[in-house]
Amino acid sequence: MSPQNFTFMFYGFTAAWLIIIVYVISIALREKKLRQELDRVKRMVEENEQAKK
Amino acid sequence: MRFLRQTLAIAAKDLRSEIRGKEAVNASVSFALVILLLFSFAFDLEPEQVRNISGGLLWLVFALAGTLILNRSFARELVNDCLDALLASPISGAQLFFGKCLANYVLIVIVECISLPVFVIFYNVVPQRLALLFLVMLLGTWGITVIGTMFSAMTVNLRLRELMLPTLIYPMLIPALIGAIELSRVLITGAPLAESLFWFRVLVAFNVIFTILSLALVDIVLVG
Amino acid sequence: MRLKIILTLSVLAGAILAWNLHRIFLQVPDEASQGAIFRIIYFHVPAAITSFTGFYIAMFSGVGYLISKDLRLDSIAASINEVSLAFALITICTGSIWGRIIWGIWWTWDARLTSYFVCLLIYFGYFMLRRAIDDPTARARLSAVLSIFACVDIVLVWKSIEWFRTQHPGPVLEIRGGGGMAPGMEAPLWWNFLAFLMLAAALILIRTRQEGMRREIDALRRYANAF
Repeated sequence: MSPQNFTFMFYGFTAAWLIIIVYVISIALREKKLRQELDRVKRMVEENEQAKK
Repeated sequence: MRFLRQTLAIAAKDLRSEIRGKEAVNASVSFALVILLLFSFAFDLEPEQVRNISGGLLWLVFALAGTLILNRSFARELVNDCLDALLASPISGAQLFFGKCLANYVLIVIVECISLPVFVIFYNVVPQRLALLFLVMLLGTWGITVIGTMFSAMTVNLRLRELMLPTLIYPMLIPALIGAIELSRVLITGAPLAESLFWFRVLVAFNVIFTILSLALVDIVLVG
Repeated sequence: MRLKIILTLSVLAGAILAWNLHRIFLQVPDEASQGAIFRIIYFHVPAAITSFTGFYIAMFSGVGYLISKDLRLDSIAASINEVSLAFALITICTGSIWGRIIWGIWWTWDARLTSYFVCLLIYFGYFMLRRAIDDPTARARLSAVLSIFACVDIVLVWKSIEWFRTQHPGPVLEIRGGGGMAPGMEAPLWWNFLAFLMLAAALILIRTRQEGMRREIDALRRYANAF
């Protein structure tokens, strides 16, 4: 079994895992950004309500 | 019958407007000539090799130049709210779409009929079975037209319309393009036609399937 | 509740993948002609099937939106397509690495790789279209129509490229090897497929929730600006 064969097999598995991990990280980052924006907009709505009263 | 009459009215309107203005056809023909010129620099080929890639060259030229016409198809109606007027009129979205398809088809075939002799002269390639080649051109062009007009309707209101249309339609057109390219190559090089009959079926199937699908879905795209 | 489902799915998926890795590396014998590299099949094929399944389920979700006009179905469709796109990327990368060993080149216009690349391009276009439209209903409508076209087209693309490569032969990715996979070798493939499905489901649930948050933000913003 050539060593190159083994190396590339590990490259293959690494590539697959790397893509999954990068995707999960990007989802997590998006989640954080969305939560921050949601909180900001909720605060903005509350301030508008207060201002109107 | 009324469907056809109203459809033809739309097609005639578009054709009349284009023939009077000649903007899209001129731009398209010029673009086709430029591409033919660029390909002559891109590849340095023996005559035999040229004949082998002739199908691909020809259909790349047709597809790229045709996009210019397809882009304008619905975009021309945005001025003065003409698109809203058309959608509010008694004709259905399918009739509007089919009329524009017919008009685009005629225009792209005109561009192809001008480009083909230029291609023959530039690349020194004389097609053996011209009638069959013309049939392949008609079949392949319908596939490009139907998908292109449908996506033109989809992207009409977008900012990056000119960029989005080619990006969306070329992957979709691959079966039709491969079929047309293979058949053209076989017809130009004089190879036996029998083994390539499969591609005729692919072209016809592509045209039928996507014409029906487009007619069914275009109302949703245009109106909602 | 939802969080619990997501966690359970992810943990199960992770467990199956880990156990399978053990099997793949230690128990499955090397393939006669290809050697160790063939084990990539255990990621390549499940990822491929997962992505195709995803694209078709997303199409039905889009059709569901067109019928019911419920924007949640559009969110589900977009999430499924995004996750399937990630798995399609895995398919192409692992296929390319496999090809590097078997054929000595990183890329070739083999029928499957080419069809997959076309599929990738079509769905990149899908997401470009979604980004270019601001109005949510228009975006949902056009995305649904595009995904119908895409799914019908993928079948035609696959068949025509396959036939094209039969006429102009190129390297062939022997995945099933004529149905001659030894009995011990095939099982991990289906277990990995199950694991990928569960992982995909977890990711889709998370993404759908994010799309829901995005809609809530838009609605609140409109409410705030209306007064």
